Amino acid sequence: MSLELRHPLKIAPPRDTAARQAFVSALRGYILNDLAGELRSAYISEVAPQFERGHGRPPESEDEVHRAMISNTCFKFYSSIRYNAQEMVWRSVIPHAEHTLPETCSKIEAHAGSAGGTLSLDPTLELPRNVARLDVHLMPGGYAPDESPLAGAIYDQGLAVFAAGMMGHNLDDIGLSMAHYVKHRFPRLEPQRILDCGTTVGHNAVPWAQTFPQAEVHAIDVSAAVLRYGHGRAESLGFPVHFHQMDATELRFPPEYFDVVFSSMFLHELPLRDIGRFFEQAHRVLRKGGLLLNMELPPNRELCAYDRFYLDWDCYYNLEPFYRGFRDQNPQDLVVAGGFRAADYLQFVVPQYSYMPESEFAAEVGGTRRVSGDTGRLSTGVQWFGFGAWKSE
Amino acid sequence: MSAPLDANARRQSFFEAESVDRLVSMVLELATELWVVRERLYVLEREAGRLGLPLSEAIEAHELTPEEQAQLAEMRRRMLGELMRTVGRDHRPPLRSFESPTV
Repeated sequence: MSLELRHPLKIAPPRDTAARQAFVSALRGYILNDLAGELRSAYISEVAPQFERGHGRPPESEDEVHRAMISNTCFKFYSSIRYNAQEMVWRSVIPHAEHTLPETCSKIEAHAGSAGGTLSLDPTLELPRNVARLDVHLMPGGYAPDESPLAGAIYDQGLAVFAAGMMGHNLDDIGLSMAHYVKHRFPRLEPQRILDCGTTVGHNAVPWAQTFPQAEVHAIDVSAAVLRYGHGRAESLGFPVHFHQMDATELRFPPEYFDVVFSSMFLHELPLRDIGRFFEQAHRVLRKGGLLLNMELPPNRELCAYDRFYLDWDCYYNLEPFYRGFRDQNPQDLVVAGGFRAADYLQFVVPQYSYMPESEFAAEVGGTRRVSGDTGRLSTGVQWFGFGAWKSE
Repeated sequence: MSAPLDANARRQSFFEAESVDRLVSMVLELATELWVVRERLYVLEREAGRLGLPLSEAIEAHELTPEEQAQLAEMRRRMLGELMRTVGRDHRPPLRSFESPTV
């Protein structure tokens, strides 16, 4: 089912556009659930046995699975259809987003300041190459083509089509799941200042303001386009978030300023060197006893060869070249390299907050869920992987 | 319209015969457009019935004016443009071997 965004910046598209978006969204849902099942069946019944006959053993790595799958007809159709669907996501929203841009700008202006959030842009900021030179997710024009909020509107509306109703009622399930994990798992933390890094349109920053209304929530991104839109989006929802145009590898906040430094689906878009620099910065701006928390794709080392291969698809075919390099790392090593102690490392898996009663979610926190094929793989029943570290007292 | 509709990258193909990838695009675009029309017709028929209009008979009896014919011709042209959007695009060949991406 297609997702209807539930915030006042949304401008209802004409019926034909809405029908087109609903169809593309349904296509995405079909690919990620039904076709993904067909792909796994083809691997189990044809590809793996054929590999085993030739090698005397099953495929042991994601590369071996990938090489074996490339010539499989089911893989070709799955990939071709998924690649097309990704293009169609953007094509289904761009004309409407562009056509309604003046109205969107008016709404952003009308809501500015109504919730108490702010927007600070830095025209001197140099865009990192991985943002400036790459149309990540095959998004035409990329995330930072200029200062117009159009790219933010395209991303917000496109993500709603892309998610096929599986990422929360306002694309906020990851933020809600992580914030409520902290609330239930560490009730004494009571964060007063929270930072969301790589926020794009702030869809996962708003849930922190929702969950911890006493906290001051800051959100950064390098793209003025998504920040302008995200600021209006948060204000229109009535949650004060302070947006800053800032690079996560060069945070301009004082030392020990935050209780929580958060990121979601951010690290896998960064070169490894930048992840290291971000974690060093996160360590610097966290107060003693503060928490670094990242929602991410699960590390390859905790998945079987087939699941590693399946998640790799985006790295090879969705213009996310750093995706695999990140997942090949041990996340504990990454945070330790940033200055955190190995003993202070934590990781966990949580279900989606948006689709279960709060009491059930609370019971799951601290439970026994482990990384599995459903972790981070967008489909019905997806569960989220989180990792990070405490800053030692 | 000035915002780009295509990502700045060579399109990936997956089949040995690149033409199959183009055909998959066409089929999916066709399916999308077919759905848009079906949904609109679905709504139209129900609204007409609700309003007590004998729409089916009127459709059968309708004769297109020159203006309507021109409008439909333009709509067909736009639809064909979407249908054929990948025919002229340069494509990356399917991967036959690869190395881990540089990070």
